[in-house]
Amino acid sequence: MNWIFLQVKNPITDVSSAGSYLPIAIQLIFAVLFIAAMMGLTHWLGPKRNTADKLENFASGIESHGDARQPMAIKYFLVAILFVLFDVEVIFFYPYAVNFRQLGWEGFFAVLMFVGFFLAGFFYIIKKGALNWED
Amino acid sequence: MNAIIFSAIFGVVMMFSGVFFSSKQLIRNLAIGLMAALLVLNAAELQGYGLFDINLNNMLHFTSFGLVFNCIAFAATFIYLLLSARDIEQVGVNLAEYFALIFFILCGVGIATSFNSLLMLFLAIEIISIPLYILTGSDKRNLKSNEASLKYFLMGAFSTGIMLMGIALIYGATGTFSLDAIATATKGFETLLTGGLLLLLIAMSFKVSAAPFHFWTPDVYDGAPTVFTSFMATIVKAAIFAAFIKLFEKAYLPSVASWKAALTFIIVATLFIGNITAVFQQSVKRMLAYSSIAQAGFMLFALFGYSDFGKEGILLYAAAYSAATIGIFAILLKMSDYTFDGYNGLAKREPVLAFVNTIFLLSLAGIPLTAGFFAKYYMLVAAVKSGASLWLVIFAVLCAAVSVYYYFRVIQAMYFKTATTEDVTTAPVTINFKVILIVLAAIIVLLGLFPHWLFTKVYF
Amino acid sequence: MIAVLLFLVPLISGILLFATKNAQQAKMLALLAAIATLVVSLLGLTALKQPAYLEFDVAWLTGINSRFHLKLDGIGQLVCLLTAISFPLIILSAWNNEYSKPNNFFGLLLLSQAGLMGVFLSVDLLLFYFFWELALIPVYFLCSGWGGEKRIAVTFKFFIYTFVGSLIMLVGIIALYFQCNETFDLKIILSQKIDPQVQNWLFWFFFVAFAIKMPVWPFHTWQPDTYEQSPTPVTMVLSGIMVKMGLFAVIRWVAPVFSSAFYQWGDTISLLCIVGMLYASVVAIKQDDLKRLIAYSSIAHIGLMCLALFASNKSGMQGAVLQMFVHGINIIGLWIVANTIEQNYGTRKISELGGLAQQAPTLTIMLVIIALANIALPLTNAFVGEFMMFNGMLSSKITRYNELDTVLAGLCIILAAVYTLNMIKQVFYGAVKREAVGNNAFTMPVKLALTVIIVLILVMGVYPKPFLDLTNEAVDAVLNRMITVK
Repeated sequence: MNWIFLQVKNPITDVSSAGSYLPIAIQLIFAVLFIAAMMGLTHWLGPKRNTADKLENFASGIESHGDARQPMAIKYFLVAILFVLFDVEVIFFYPYAVNFRQLGWEGFFAVLMFVGFFLAGFFYIIKKGALNWED
Repeated sequence: MNAIIFSAIFGVVMMFSGVFFSSKQLIRNLAIGLMAALLVLNAAELQGYGLFDINLNNMLHFTSFGLVFNCIAFAATFIYLLLSARDIEQVGVNLAEYFALIFFILCGVGIATSFNSLLMLFLAIEIISIPLYILTGSDKRNLKSNEASLKYFLMGAFSTGIMLMGIALIYGATGTFSLDAIATATKGFETLLTGGLLLLLIAMSFKVSAAPFHFWTPDVYDGAPTVFTSFMATIVKAAIFAAFIKLFEKAYLPSVASWKAALTFIIVATLFIGNITAVFQQSVKRMLAYSSIAQAGFMLFALFGYSDFGKEGILLYAAAYSAATIGIFAILLKMSDYTFDGYNGLAKREPVLAFVNTIFLLSLAGIPLTAGFFAKYYMLVAAVKSGASLWLVIFAVLCAAVSVYYYFRVIQAMYFKTATTEDVTTAPVTINFKVILIVLAAIIVLLGLFPHWLFTKVYF
Repeated sequence: MIAVLLFLVPLISGILLFATKNAQQAKMLALLAAIATLVVSLLGLTALKQPAYLEFDVAWLTGINSRFHLKLDGIGQLVCLLTAISFPLIILSAWNNEYSKPNNFFGLLLLSQAGLMGVFLSVDLLLFYFFWELALIPVYFLCSGWGGEKRIAVTFKFFIYTFVGSLIMLVGIIALYFQCNETFDLKIILSQKIDPQVQNWLFWFFFVAFAIKMPVWPFHTWQPDTYEQSPTPVTMVLSGIMVKMGLFAVIRWVAPVFSSAFYQWGDTISLLCIVGMLYASVVAIKQDDLKRLIAYSSIAHIGLMCLALFASNKSGMQGAVLQMFVHGINIIGLWIVANTIEQNYGTRKISELGGLAQQAPTLTIMLVIIALANIALPLTNAFVGEFMMFNGMLSSKITRYNELDTVLAGLCIILAAVYTLNMIKQVFYGAVKREAVGNNAFTMPVKLALTVIIVLILVMGVYPKPFLDLTNEAVDAVLNRMITVK
């Protein structure tokens, strides 16, 4: 009967062996079974009276109208993704800012190159008209 | 190093060329010129004239094998651009960007042939894959192209995840990303290492479209714009094989005996599925997609029988397969009908196209006097030398015999059947186009006579 | 020099032919090239018979130790001579045939000759394989391009069949390469000792390819269809020379290299040969199509030669080698006659023909002579070869069934007489069933070709010694090698 109370008859001295995980496994299984049983029971026992009002999406009591999936200008996405892109690249300045004395001129030129690429990208999107709001 | 840096710079140059120039002709010629420059720069490094001396912390390691491989890939791309640059124009409006993406992919190829650390391998695979997702979907109005792109992206992302997991496990087992260190790693965490290598094997098999991880290939190759399919199926695939063989040499070879069974299974499945399914295709484009799976099966022999033969063989195979496939796709692009019947009677109207196409197909089928024969020959020799079961080799040659069936269907259509409709070729065929195709065919025949010409550089 | 010329003359002239414009020019050039090859080969056999001329050896694939090594020797001399003699005859016989692109047709024909010469000359195994495949490609295009109604499917079957065979041989070549310290050179391979156990399976890798080419039952199914559907000149190349590739390769590569396996499997293969011969002979009796009849008779004859080879003694092997030559000449004669009949009377159905002797007496005489040679009547060339083969079979020391083999093979000769004489009776005698359709294909060039063939038949039937002397040494060498191994 020991195993029911998660008691080990002969305590395992070697803690890294698989046997020592047995209580945890049993506990996990028990937890899953318990949750499954509870959810099953509520579905099975609970009363169900569906009406049109009940099935409606909850919108803080306000009657919903229209479709949430409205078409949006692709420009929003473009600007948003470009923002993310450049924002992420800015992160690289932090480590440089912390270490710029130690890195010396070599580090400076490396960062200069990075900024160069960075600006090239920026120049490219402007030239391509990615940020033009009006057509 | 030349290849990696300059391909990246050229990619940026191509990007801006679209901004500054409006003439398509100019952009096209610029791309071809830059490609030639890239080829020359890489060849210069092979001769010992590297322009950069950067401390790479042993993350990249440039060998003559990798550089020769770059040369093959760049030369193939050069010919590809010469043949198909006009067709790239047909795909969409962003001409300069397509070229830029191709250069970025070549940057990835440069890394893939020289990586010495799993991190670099990951970078290479990603740099190759991401532009490909875009190129696949570049025909924006075409639903099939969109579908292909999405499929490719999802499946590619998935395999990337598997690959990362594999790399993570290997790191966990050995505490390093360096290939050299992995090769000599202590065997403390055998299970982790094996699990990691297995995941890596799966991810790489996915990228080279080896069965049973090939399901994306036909749809993606079929859906993508045909010009880009040509690029994907040849140069990119060969480059990933170059990475695969290097990875295998370092990471798997210490425990190669235990990997042979897995590899045998992959080879057999790839050969079988690729060849048998190709037989039932009606569209030449789709047939070529399956044939590329089948050819991948043969290339896998280079891993199986890893030796000098295998290395030489994969170089030759990459060259032979890329050259032939690029040629076939270039001709396919001129056809209005992509089915086998579309080729009916081509020999009457365009004897030159039909003739060179025949040479390309014979090369793919592995008939002597073409590069394809020696490519297959080296693969088989590598396999036998490494002690592969003769049954595996016999199975491979029987599959090669099956492949004759579908390759020769094209030849039969071109020569022995009469056209049902008039004017099968739609796009105008220029003299230049024909001359380049003839040069390509001549290269294939020359490699079929003197294959060792390709390897001489490897040993210096 | 001679060796490389034999291969280069047809190759270069074949390529040149594609550039010619009109039909007359193409035919003329083709004939000249074929005759030039014949002259070269005759020179090689007589005036310039010195090792320095007959051998050509340059480095080819240094990495894998393969050399471009051609050598005109031994049995190769006879088959090269056969190839050289056959092509002028074939081109002559096709002189008046109308082909849609004659320059391509004759160009491919000469390319196939170049490939065949390469097969017979090469003493480097990889080079041999190279030519073995290359000889097939032009023939494939010839059959598919200019053949009969069902040509595409039939030729495809033929191609795939032989291609599978040669691929299996390729695996065998690779395996042998590693067995013999990574060499392809025939001489070095022969100096190696190959484990009999290994020989026993390696033998089949090679033999299957050769058996498909010959063809030996049960690998023969491509043959009748292909012979029937191919344009007649190509059928002549196929049946006259190409099938000899298989027999030749057995003598040059299989017998000396895999000697112990050769003994080991002798009975098995003899059984296949005999079954094939009986089968083909019986089927031939039932044929109504002239071309198919000749095709099946060819299977029976090849089976006999293969059987005699596996008797593994001097008489049998010499007979088979001689018969290879003789059968090549005779069957080309038969095809010429069949072609002429088809052109003149618009059909090659035996049941629709009759009484041709009254309409075309010269043709009849010629056919009868060739047909009699086909059934090996004394005084014709085939008699010598067949007699030697039967002698060899009966005295064979390596099998316990030599008497049974000989009797069954003899039965096939009787069956051959049945179908051949029956064919002559039906086609040439009796009531006239069909009038000539107008055009006369029995023209000067055809007559010339047939005359040459008949002269050869009679001369060789009376005085076969020079031909036997040609291969005497080579056969001795092969047999000695086999005996030492045993």
